[in-house]
Amino acid sequence: MTVAIIKTKAEQALATDFASRRSRLPGTAANAKMRSEAMAAFERAGLPHRRVEAWKYTDLRAALKEISPFAAGEVSDLSEADLQLALGAFASIAADRLVFVNGHYVPALSTSAPQINLFTLGEVLGSGGTLAPLSTDEAMVSLNGALVTDGAIIDIAAGATLTKPILVIAAATGAKPSLTALRHMIKLGAGAAATVIEVHVALDGALASQSNSVLEISTGDKARLTHFLIGLEGPAATHIQTIAATIGADATLNSFQLTVGTGLARNQAFVRFAGERSKLDISGLMLARGREHIDTTLVIDHAVPHCESRELFKTVLDDTARAVFQGKVIVRPDAQKTDGKQMAKALMLSEACEFDSKPELEIYADDVVCGHGATVAEIDPAMMFYLRSRGIPEDQARAMLIESFVGEALDKIDDEGLRELLSGIARDWLSKGHA
Amino acid sequence: MLEIKNLHAKIAENGTEILKGITLTVPKGEVHAIMGPNGSGKSTLAYVLAGRSDYEVTSGDILWNGESILELSPDERAAAGVFLAFQYPMEIPGVSTMTFLRTSVNATRKKRGQKEYSTPEFMKIARAAALHLGVKDDMLKRALNVGFSGGEKKRMEVLQMALLEPTLCVLDETDSGLDIDAIKIVSEGANKLRGPDKAMLVITHYQRLLNYITPDKVHVLAHGRIHKTGGKELALELEKTGYAEFTGKAA
Repeated sequence: MTVAIIKTKAEQALATDFASRRSRLPGTAANAKMRSEAMAAFERAGLPHRRVEAWKYTDLRAALKEISPFAAGEVSDLSEADLQLALGAFASIAADRLVFVNGHYVPALSTSAPQINLFTLGEVLGSGGTLAPLSTDEAMVSLNGALVTDGAIIDIAAGATLTKPILVIAAATGAKPSLTALRHMIKLGAGAAATVIEVHVALDGALASQSNSVLEISTGDKARLTHFLIGLEGPAATHIQTIAATIGADATLNSFQLTVGTGLARNQAFVRFAGERSKLDISGLMLARGREHIDTTLVIDHAVPHCESRELFKTVLDDTARAVFQGKVIVRPDAQKTDGKQMAKALMLSEACEFDSKPELEIYADDVVCGHGATVAEIDPAMMFYLRSRGIPEDQARAMLIESFVGEALDKIDDEGLRELLSGIARDWLSKGHA
Repeated sequence: MLEIKNLHAKIAENGTEILKGITLTVPKGEVHAIMGPNGSGKSTLAYVLAGRSDYEVTSGDILWNGESILELSPDERAAAGVFLAFQYPMEIPGVSTMTFLRTSVNATRKKRGQKEYSTPEFMKIARAAALHLGVKDDMLKRALNVGFSGGEKKRMEVLQMALLEPTLCVLDETDSGLDIDAIKIVSEGANKLRGPDKAMLVITHYQRLLNYITPDKVHVLAHGRIHKTGGKELALELEKTGYAEFTGKAA
């Protein structure tokens, strides 16, 4: 028996758009074939919806009523001044900068990056190279495989330590919103060390931007990567991102994810420990108000023994905003001495907001330490009274308590300058709500 | 002068009446002790003076320097000179003690029409005051009260009291959980704040604290009312006889 799948308006638009404009996407015939296969895989699954367990709380089929035409080679006009404005405090940090505007690398806005072997995916595809598809059953990754236009390929040689962070910027601009599909790769050779800061921004006029990006991370043995994912696209934007990471032996991966005021955001990370004695920390902040919806979904696969994983996500919600935290930790039968801890805490500033937390521990080894916790709370009236009895006015006392709540997550950031920068973004967001 | 006039207060959530007509006057320059058994309403009185919203004043009034403070918010009361040293000071993770102290003092100074301190100015003042109370520099850098011992928390309360320059000090069971050495340090700190324009209300279950902070008057609170008032010798008397006389009376 065949079941006829009824496509939503957005799914139909994607299929039509792909059929008519696929020739504009970069790559050889071999790539075109892979794109067709990826699109077919996406169409079989459709946009993820609530009956797909991993997307239970973020129903894209229901949420994405409209889908914008995908980006395919259109030249975008973006001035350095406008970019600076959109980047805010990130404009002034000392970093090598790679700028992608509406899904395409823009050399004029980027700085040279002599410290790395930098290629862009656009270059690779344009010069006859091929792009191996990610093996996954994630529909949004398939869609990225069909529509991908460009991305940064950051390949850091064994033993190299970068002196400056690499800032990878995805900016959306222009009068008509588009759907962008970037695919970045960060590869650290054995013993290499780097900081990569990914910032997503949308400029005026592109507020309803849609992005569906993929980031592959691979850290060699003894390598150390500090990654930041900063989502600042605004309340009308849709941001879907998948991180697929593999960690070698004795390596460290720290990823801090700050999502502030994004209309609909889903950051999903699939991390696999491939070598022993490695450490992972994925932490972050989700700040949402209005009707915003932010989802963080993590799947940590302890495939080998003696690894440590830490996850701490703090969420502040106001109005009718909603946040989701799903954290799955798999400990394979051989992964003895695994040490995994996960914590999700939400602070609710209104009665109508919603926080869904779903921890999942799948433990097949017997000598492990694994724990998870989740809390949902309002501002503690006893703490408020204490601060106010010391002369601190209500608004200020409230701001202090919210800041103290988010501070625990921000403390995960080792670099003082970056910690202060991200704290500033959080403070700005907080002060907008209850000025 | 603090004047509490026929004060009735209930727990806002369930309507249980705790204070059932307290009348009490503490002139400036005097220290009065409030003693009483557990559950008599001592802490409620302290909270109501500081303006905690969990309690609702149903009748009566509280006048400070001739004006009712009932309509003032807790922070406005602080600016008006009211300070409550908590029995159980709150732990505030993520807020450094120094930042908290500066915010508190500057907010209060602003409302009092005084000039706010710059950060370096304030740090000097806070460090000097901390030194007197045996509060280590390291404690000022840590999150407020987080991981502090009972004694450290109480010293921190007295440090706040010194920095905020209140004129009405209410000490709620400041001796609870302290050993004798800590009681001495905390009492010395409190005694330094006695003065001709200051009134102090010391709430305690045991007489012990009053060996160090000598009261001008002692009031016995039981079942939400003042049952007896006397000089400092009343405290010693209570130490011998206990509260049975008062708990029995209204039962």
